Amino acid sequence: MDISKIRTVMEEEGVVFSFSGMISQTLTSFMLETAKTQLEDSGEDTKMIRSMFLIAIEQLQNVMSYSKERDIHQGNKYTSPGVLVIGYSDELQKYYVNSSNEIFEKDKEKVSKKLDEINNMEKEDLRKFLREKLRSAEDKHDRGAGVGFIEMAKRSSEKLEYNFEEINGKHYFHILAYV
Amino acid sequence: MENLIIKATKYTPEINLDASTNILSIVGKSYPENTFEFYKPVMIWVEKFLEIKYEKEIVFNIELEYLNSSSLKAYFDLFDCIELAHEKGQNLAINWIYDEDNDIAEETGEDFIADFESLSIKLIVKN
Repeated sequence: MDISKIRTVMEEEGVVFSFSGMISQTLTSFMLETAKTQLEDSGEDTKMIRSMFLIAIEQLQNVMSYSKERDIHQGNKYTSPGVLVIGYSDELQKYYVNSSNEIFEKDKEKVSKKLDEINNMEKEDLRKFLREKLRSAEDKHDRGAGVGFIEMAKRSSEKLEYNFEEINGKHYFHILAYV
Repeated sequence: MENLIIKATKYTPEINLDASTNILSIVGKSYPENTFEFYKPVMIWVEKFLEIKYEKEIVFNIELEYLNSSSLKAYFDLFDCIELAHEKGQNLAINWIYDEDNDIAEETGEDFIADFESLSIKLIVKN
């Protein structure tokens, strides 16, 4: 175990908050409140922090709801393994929210189709698109409205970046949003 | 009818539905993971409450700092239910309350106004 290697990478990537492990609702709330306070204390803009918070909620709740591996607890509560990184990109001079989790291989096509469609839209179109989806409820399921990516894209200042990675037969989904 | 009171948590709002005053308040943050389950008792209460016709105006005071996407859907459904009652002649008003610097809450309120044209939804900025 080489902790200094991990610390070096984190410094290079401008990481302000990171977590790898079982993600739950309680932890989501705890992590985001912590990151929020940290950014408020360093004098960051309230509006930026609010957008960051909302993007991270959607990413983490996606990890909980759509991961291949998950534990289901009483009251329809899920915990799933995932990675969350909140950091600052020196290059773009923007904060970013990045997450990673294992998904079902069959979901890959559906996910890329959704994200490509969203990435082709401008802000005003996204606003309309979200309202249409809320009205039609066509992507609604018992844990959500199926509109998390749209909300994420609305709050991001850049297009959503995503990719899939296969390691030892497991399929990982990575998503990155700049605030 | 009994009041419905649910205490706030870190990620769910305080809910105070008062059948004696016709003031229904929701204040706090809303980003639970099991949103529809959380709002189910609220929906059931409101539907039942609106079955009776009141002389007095029914006022919804909704003040939410954070809404996740599933909560947006939950409020969309709540407004659907309010709109139905409005069509049946119920006297209703919705106050959508937010902090001055919360442009996201403002935008959400504007979208609800556009989607529920027949309802009286007021945007109220807190200073």
